[in-house]
Amino acid sequence: MKKQDNQNNIHSLMRLLPYAKPYTAQFLGVFLLVVIFNATSVLQPYLVKVAIDSDISILHPNLQGVFIIGAIYVGIVILGVFSNIFQMLLLQYTGQRVIRKIRIDVFSHIEQQGMDFFDNHAIGRLVTNISSDTETVSQFFTQFFLSMIRDGLSIIMIVIAMFELDVRIAWECMMVIPIIFAISLLFRNWLRDAYQATRTRLSNIVAFLAENLAGMRIIQIFHQEAQQSDRFESLNSQHRRANVNEYGISVIFNRVLELLGNLAVAAVVFVGGGAVLHHVILFGTLYAFISYIQKFFQPINSITQQWNTLQSSMVAADRIGKVLIVESKIQDPAMPVSLTEARGKIEFREVDFSYHQGEPILKKVSLVIEPGQFVGFVGATGAGKSTIMSLLTRQYDPNAGKILLDDVDISQLSLTDLHHYVGMVQQDLQLFTGTIADNIRMFRPEIDEETIVSAAKAVGIHHLIERMPDGYQTWLYAKGANISMGERQLLSFARMVALNPKVLILDEATASLDSQTEEMVQNGLSRLAESRTTLVIAHRLSTVRHADVIFVMDHGQVVEQGTHDQLLQQRGIYAELYENAGIEVLA
Amino acid sequence: MLNDPRLILQSFIWRKKWAYLLSILSIIISEMVTVQFPNLIGKFTDLLSRGQLTTAGVLHYTWLLALVGVTYVILYGFGQFRNGQIGRQFEYELRKRLFIHWETLHTGYFRKRSVGDLLNHAMNDVRAVREAMSGGLNILTNSIFLLITTLFMTFTTISVSLTLVSIIPLIFVPFFIVWWGPRIRLASRHVQESLSTMADLSEESLASIRLIKTTGNERVEVGRFTKTVDTILMRQMDMFKRSALFQSFIPLMGSLSFAIALIYGGYLTVNHQIQLGMFVAFTLYLTMIITPLQQIGFVINNFQRASASMARLRILLMEQPEIVDLPNAKTLRDAKGEVSIHLDAFSYPDSLEPVLKQIHIRLQAGQTLGIVGRTGAGKTTLVNLLPRIFDPPDGSVFLDGEDVKTIKLTDLRSAIAYVPQDGFLFSAKVAENIGFGKKNPLFEEIETTSKDAHIYDDIIGFSRQFDTEIGERGIALSGGQKQRTAMARAFIKDAAILILDDSLSAVDMVTEKKIIERIRELRVGKTTIIVAHRLSAVRHADHIVVLDKGQIHEQGTHATLLNNQGIYADIWRLQSEGEEWT
Repeated sequence: MKKQDNQNNIHSLMRLLPYAKPYTAQFLGVFLLVVIFNATSVLQPYLVKVAIDSDISILHPNLQGVFIIGAIYVGIVILGVFSNIFQMLLLQYTGQRVIRKIRIDVFSHIEQQGMDFFDNHAIGRLVTNISSDTETVSQFFTQFFLSMIRDGLSIIMIVIAMFELDVRIAWECMMVIPIIFAISLLFRNWLRDAYQATRTRLSNIVAFLAENLAGMRIIQIFHQEAQQSDRFESLNSQHRRANVNEYGISVIFNRVLELLGNLAVAAVVFVGGGAVLHHVILFGTLYAFISYIQKFFQPINSITQQWNTLQSSMVAADRIGKVLIVESKIQDPAMPVSLTEARGKIEFREVDFSYHQGEPILKKVSLVIEPGQFVGFVGATGAGKSTIMSLLTRQYDPNAGKILLDDVDISQLSLTDLHHYVGMVQQDLQLFTGTIADNIRMFRPEIDEETIVSAAKAVGIHHLIERMPDGYQTWLYAKGANISMGERQLLSFARMVALNPKVLILDEATASLDSQTEEMVQNGLSRLAESRTTLVIAHRLSTVRHADVIFVMDHGQVVEQGTHDQLLQQRGIYAELYENAGIEVLA
Repeated sequence: MLNDPRLILQSFIWRKKWAYLLSILSIIISEMVTVQFPNLIGKFTDLLSRGQLTTAGVLHYTWLLALVGVTYVILYGFGQFRNGQIGRQFEYELRKRLFIHWETLHTGYFRKRSVGDLLNHAMNDVRAVREAMSGGLNILTNSIFLLITTLFMTFTTISVSLTLVSIIPLIFVPFFIVWWGPRIRLASRHVQESLSTMADLSEESLASIRLIKTTGNERVEVGRFTKTVDTILMRQMDMFKRSALFQSFIPLMGSLSFAIALIYGGYLTVNHQIQLGMFVAFTLYLTMIITPLQQIGFVINNFQRASASMARLRILLMEQPEIVDLPNAKTLRDAKGEVSIHLDAFSYPDSLEPVLKQIHIRLQAGQTLGIVGRTGAGKTTLVNLLPRIFDPPDGSVFLDGEDVKTIKLTDLRSAIAYVPQDGFLFSAKVAENIGFGKKNPLFEEIETTSKDAHIYDDIIGFSRQFDTEIGERGIALSGGQKQRTAMARAFIKDAAILILDDSLSAVDMVTEKKIIERIRELRVGKTTIIVAHRLSAVRHADHIVVLDKGQIHEQGTHATLLNNQGIYADIWRLQSEGEEWT
């Protein structure tokens, strides 16, 4: 089972490999530079050995030889440094280009999905896919790949150098390799677990603090300072214990590796010293062995770290792959019909719809809305009002029946065209981080200043914007703390005027506004409704009172339709709703 | 004064002085041991090259080297771990101190500063101090003593001139780190910023996905996204350029210094001024010296960061709590709930503009007061003065005839139950949230109050009912559910005074009506203050105050106010028309 998982993960990492393909030349370049760098660093102890054995020797001193070797030494050091710098830059540049492309593809793929996708995927999760999963995958290219070739080559070259020097001692040195591997892998797991424990407890502290700072007023009013600081105390000491534990393991790990290094040198001294005594090797060779055995530790340790990198990038690649594999359910028609000019007539013909099988939301809904009408939809929560609007904007496709815009089935229109003709203002008013102007034009470059200003004037927010410190250039934040509820509402109206759809859908906000703002919003709404077909999911009596037609919905069906007065006379559901509103209207 | 972090640190170190002495001593001894390593190999080389060594001699040196290795690792590991442990103890104590301190500060303080900002101090500044205390201290002791002992060894056993000439390139290393290190940190911060900009943008975009889809704006969004990704690429390359230079400089200097040792040391050996063993030992000493030199640079950066953090923590911890008991504060048992307010003007500490002017209200024990008015009229401010969430001027707000500022805070706040507008709840079980203000609440009480607040049916519908976790790690409640839960939390306190601060705004009309009826039954003979947007919530109050721009515009009962034909009557008309009704 576990193995199966791993294979799947490797598979999903492989699926991302085509992103690296255009950069084959760059990756080869990196490889070449790594070879040069490694060669220079393996050569250094060898040069010292030559100097000791042939030039610094007491028997036949050769000063000129010392200088020549010194010069070569400086030369290869500089060569090594430069090849290393170029290698790092080239690899990072290439890796970052690859990730850039993956990021853009993941993001635009998500943006193309139909709404059912967003019903099944939490936004936080998707943001993680886009930002941190891609970052983790990039480590595959920049860390894993690099470590494999750099550290792998380094080990191989040291081994080769050792065997060149003396085969017997080299074999004896090889014994240390499995020991280092074993220790590193063992500790790696402990360290990872300890690290994760610390991280979890740290984030508990952060979450606790964030919440308690935000709710300090409540703690103080309910006089729970002591209780809360006890809770903090427990989280705080849990974190301390985990942190000390993690630190302890890392200290032991580093010291054990160091000890192993020292013992290895002692062992080389023992073996090599005997060999020198028996004139099997020269002293310089022993010196080189001491240097090489010390150089062994770093690359082996670094390679064992990559196991974790590989694992986490595989998991991340798998998560990205699962997103990329989903095909959008809402597709453009192969041969879209184009409307020359929309008038704004809407017709539903026996439309059935359910989000989940067996739980029908709409049942054979049929209705006709004439161009230019102002239409209200009322009914209890769950009656199907919002669903009608979602289908009309093709966020979902109906299970049966047809939806027509100007007598053309909307599934025959391109999505771009449909959304050009049908616009929607939702209940939760969305703002984007950017200027007011950007928020009205939705960042579209083709909408000019003039259109923005006239849209703002049309819904009556122009004078409010003018009064702000930077006017239309005032910076807004997505959370919109710096702008009031009413202003947000008007801004979203202005957005629709600027986009100028032929059909407008409005899901009225339920939040209570104060009376002055209420009036402003109602005025904005009536200006917005001019010269287009308007469908409103209404929560306010004042909104539907003057509607051309009111559709009353109940359990997924249109049960009544007519004007306010007609419906009151029918004494049906509408009249009942009206009376139960709990408002005694003053005469 | 007790809260000055420098004094806290001093007294902490004093408390731990023996522990510190022990760990530092063991590090110092470990350094003195480890410098014997090159020395031994040097002597071994000399004996070997002179042919004066036997197999037994080789074994002898092997054992000595192993002994040095083991002793060093044990002593250094011990000192290092102890220092790290003590540092983490300080981190823990400092965080605890911060939290307890924050609990004494008033709401105005938290309004001025963002939670994210305070969190940043509690997490990162405290950590920076700890890093300097544990890692920094280890490295500092380690580097300084290793440097001293190594130099001492090379000076005395090898050659002063060879040492001085060879370490020239290495001298630059700590300076380079101090100079270049912060630049890399800056670049890396820029990368982090651009990464979070990208995450923010994608979150924002996905949160608005319906709008984006219905306006066909996907391509524009991808364009915005691409821009942020390109910024990341650019900044990341900038950082890599800086760090590539950094990572290459130190080994370069090390190798250059080694090259000098090779040439000059070779020259000295050939001229018989030093022996081959000394030459070998010296090259080994050089590799030992590179690490401490480079670490000294890091430690300097580390200490600079820590001292800036200390300064920031000092500002936080030295903040004086403003709302405290007076020296001879009075106790108040069994409050009756008579409230009177005689306020000429109130303005927030950081502004001159008064938020409330000329407020005079008298409320008999057991009466209900309704406060209405537009957003920003000063309703919340007014009710916040009573429990001293903000401090009123002296002699302006009275409970049972006593100025609230002269009553013990504990007693004052025990007499008041409060329901905030936002329905703030903690990430805990539903039952824990409802029982928050009461010591060991009975489960029956929790159940009863949740019925009173009309949240019982919702809770029973949750998978784990009263044990359901809410907030961060649990389920998300709707605005109305939050408000009703917060209402239950206040009901269970059964205090002399109940304040509802516009706490029914997200509750639908029908439920609001039922809750208000229940409150009227429960609060018979007890004082209740209701702030509301919707007049339906206050119409039954004994007394209604209409606030406008911080002043009492009109007051009276529902009937008299309607007759007045003022703002109240206007709002009543508008709300009957525009009220949400589905």
